[in-house]
Amino acid sequence: MKPDGRIKLVSELLDLPLIDSEGRYCGVVDDVELDGAAGKTLRPTALLVGPGAYSGRMPGWVMALVRLLAGSRITRVPFSKIRTIGSAVELEVPGEAVGLNKSEDRAERWIPHKGAL
Amino acid sequence: MNPLELTLGIMTAVGGFVDISELVFAAKAGSTFGYALIWVFAFATIGIIVFSEMSGRVAAVAKQPVFNLMRHRLGLKLGLVTLIASVISSLITCAAEVGGVALILNYLTGAPYLILAVGLTVALIASIWVIPFEWIERSYGLLGLFMVVIAAALVAIHPPWHQIASGFVPQVPKGLTTKELLTFGYFAVAIVSAVMFPYEVYFYSSGGIEEGWSIKDLLTNRLTSIVGMGLGSLLAISILASSAQLFGPTNIDPEIPGTAALQAAIPFGKWGLILALLGMFFAVAGAAVETCLANAYSIAQFFGWKWGRHKKPWEAPRFTITWIALFIAALAIVLTGVDVMTLVEFAILFSILVLPLTYLPLLLLAGDRKFMGQYANGAIAKVLGWFYFAVVGCAAIAALPLYFLTSGGNG
Amino acid sequence: MGICILCLAACSSGPSADLQYIKQARSIGAEWALINEQAETHQLTATYVASMHQWLHDGLTTAAQSLSEPDSAYGHEIQALLAEPADAAPETLRGHVNKLKRIEDQLESA
Repeated sequence: MKPDGRIKLVSELLDLPLIDSEGRYCGVVDDVELDGAAGKTLRPTALLVGPGAYSGRMPGWVMALVRLLAGSRITRVPFSKIRTIGSAVELEVPGEAVGLNKSEDRAERWIPHKGAL
Repeated sequence: MNPLELTLGIMTAVGGFVDISELVFAAKAGSTFGYALIWVFAFATIGIIVFSEMSGRVAAVAKQPVFNLMRHRLGLKLGLVTLIASVISSLITCAAEVGGVALILNYLTGAPYLILAVGLTVALIASIWVIPFEWIERSYGLLGLFMVVIAAALVAIHPPWHQIASGFVPQVPKGLTTKELLTFGYFAVAIVSAVMFPYEVYFYSSGGIEEGWSIKDLLTNRLTSIVGMGLGSLLAISILASSAQLFGPTNIDPEIPGTAALQAAIPFGKWGLILALLGMFFAVAGAAVETCLANAYSIAQFFGWKWGRHKKPWEAPRFTITWIALFIAALAIVLTGVDVMTLVEFAILFSILVLPLTYLPLLLLAGDRKFMGQYANGAIAKVLGWFYFAVVGCAAIAALPLYFLTSGGNG
Repeated sequence: MGICILCLAACSSGPSADLQYIKQARSIGAEWALINEQAETHQLTATYVASMHQWLHDGLTTAAQSLSEPDSAYGHEIQALLAEPADAAPETLRGHVNKLKRIEDQLESA
């Protein structure tokens, strides 16, 4: 579905994998940023990706563990960068263009680039 | 459909069916209860066929592996509980497989067990690093076909075929004491757990994505699941039947995995023994690789990392670091000196407890027309899927009480 | 509460608690006898035989050490089995196995 219609936040968006324009996995929709107020129409404005986005969805003691193990970074992916929403959220841009894949790039420095057929 | 690909896929499934848990429990089941537990193997095999076919279909149609969609379906909290439970279960299973392979190498070479465990882990890591994905799966699976010598050995010892055939009929032996009845129940639960290990579904579905399955591969998926696993289970049943014929009457309840190799040695001598040990080595080594990768798939997919062995290791760095770390963790468990049979018992117990959490999201996903369109579960898949979900649910509830009441099946 | 009861049921001492170790020792003795019998007719590799002897001996030692009543008749029988040389005659080993089986059957029918 296109990201300009009505969507069910929990069943259709939260916790879906993110795939960028080059077909690479670049995270999971950990939370959704909304614009609006109580009693008014809510509009999603961005997807939030990263361990910091679990806050509000997990108990406090779990968040303390998450912060210890994985930090508290949040990457904000503007809703306008979404191409379609289906069994995954497909982006119009490469992950790097919206600040994704940084942890992956850091981890790559530890892996020797040889030996694999 | 490519006939060669299909044949290789089926043969890989056959050779890869038996792991250390099935080896141990098939041999013990046969020696303890004769042919009376054959039907449980057949029953559990239908269950794993149902769920493997479903997971392969989800991979081919939704083009997402099970754990990717599991978090979406269960939500973050329950998804995290499922992830943690399945990681613990698969890690213990991986440790049991690594310990099992080291043991088999010890039978073949006589080299010290713990040193073999270290060397073997390095070799397994190297094999996953170097070899492309489809050949990782195929090489271990096809070489595991050496275990066919055990099926041949069963034919050679002229067993009572009519009794083996009647073992396929659901039954509980008559005249059992209460303790024996509980032990029978424990073995039934253990066999269901061993045959329907969660890692098998995770690996199969992620493997389908790795191999680029699409709708045109649905028939391949179905045939590989049904024929491959069906034939594979006959190997496990051969171990049970041989054990019933050779070990039961001589007061043997195989206490160590190496005893199963005698099933091929008795009719065929040294060559039968060596082929059986080689088959066991590759089958169990393949299972060690599958459990490790299945765990890494689950973690990477849950957190949305790049994953897959169809990529070079540096193209999916967090996934690579994860599977290497998991192998090292499994080795660390083996190096504590804990007995392989104990690891197998714990692997069985943890897995059966996790099974309902594993299969529920898969059932829901495979039946969801939003993801699956016209390829969602039909009537047969729905009925069988929910039936087996109820079975694993009951088995999960009964597992711990039966374990304690029967001292882990030892009566 | 249920788990505690189950644990207690599993942890009781005496012959009924030792039954699982008697069964283990009986089975190990029978496996040992079968291996030696096959080894006599050169059906097995020397490496496999030596390795299996080692593992079976370790298993038997563990079973013996786990007994809550090591000074019982079955405790002495297991020690006698442990004292046999690795290449003991299959008939000798089966003699111990049969004695342990009789004790096992008596305990199970009690």
